[in-house]
Amino acid sequence: MRQARQWTVISLITVGVMIGGCTTATTNIDVNNDKGDAVMGLDYRDFHAAAQEMVQSLLASGSVSKPGGGRYVLVVSRITNDTMQHIDTDQLVKKIRVGLLKSGKVVVTTAVGVGGAEDNMAMQTREDLRGNEEFNQATVAGKGNMVAPDLSLSGKILQRNISVDSSTQRVEYYFQMTLSDINTGLAFWEDEKVLGKRGSNKSVAW
Amino acid sequence: MYQVSLAVIFSLFLFGGCANSSPKPVDSVVNVVETECGNNEISIQDVKGRKKSDGFMQVQVIGKSRSDTYQRLEYRIIWFDKQGFTIDSILSDWTVISAYAMQPFYINVTSPNTKAKTFRLYIKNEKEVICDKQDNGL
Repeated sequence: MRQARQWTVISLITVGVMIGGCTTATTNIDVNNDKGDAVMGLDYRDFHAAAQEMVQSLLASGSVSKPGGGRYVLVVSRITNDTMQHIDTDQLVKKIRVGLLKSGKVVVTTAVGVGGAEDNMAMQTREDLRGNEEFNQATVAGKGNMVAPDLSLSGKILQRNISVDSSTQRVEYYFQMTLSDINTGLAFWEDEKVLGKRGSNKSVAW
Repeated sequence: MYQVSLAVIFSLFLFGGCANSSPKPVDSVVNVVETECGNNEISIQDVKGRKKSDGFMQVQVIGKSRSDTYQRLEYRIIWFDKQGFTIDSILSDWTVISAYAMQPFYINVTSPNTKAKTFRLYIKNEKEVICDKQDNGL
């Protein structure tokens, strides 16, 4: 009886060690030098590369350089996610916005947007605080101070899945962006970056 | 498996480009300081830099692959302002470039803003740890 109990304990310990040895230890990714294997879906490296290329293309084109100096006011329009993945398009757009802001040639308005203001506070503080005696009216934003956008940035992320053979698939991603002049409606700049991935049919790209 | 790891450092000194609003590109002088680590299978053949009329710096680097196989290289450019401080930008991250066997390759980049005055370029093989033998060319 006692020997049986001892064997049970030893067996449990052995199984525990085996299971513990099989688990993958969690490690932090070095996002500045991540040499991990590619994935069929879009990961942060893909968004980073796409944003980098778009910012480089935008600055090189000269379309964000205002004649006579100064800064353009940019509004981010609709960025359509036409992939099979649940993507927050800000993963791409935020990096582009930051890059453009740091260029010193563009400021982004958050007071207007496709589905309403990105940041409602600019308008809300006016509506709520204007005429409110609790607030020093000299510190409340005055009328006619908001700046309308000059440029609009829109885009789309597309996905195409292609079956190569019975075991292999190819997934193509297209990052398409357009910078339009709001005054004329003309596109000042457009670019596209294509990402292709090939892998097992068993991999799921959504 | 070939090994290429090249850290190339360029300092680009632009004369008179800052206050000049002329659309004509200003001539530049490029001072190249090169440090090699490991087997060198690429060479840098030409570096051009200019200040564009909108104030951005544009750099073109022409290199050549000495390898008889196709290589995927990565490069990054660190930009410096006139005081020698780095300019933080998404444009300073590693970027992949293709180098075909025994063929030239081209790097053409624009600075992240108009404050850029000099730059340092690093080239390495994709998926390779960068050589840490770098010299300060400033």
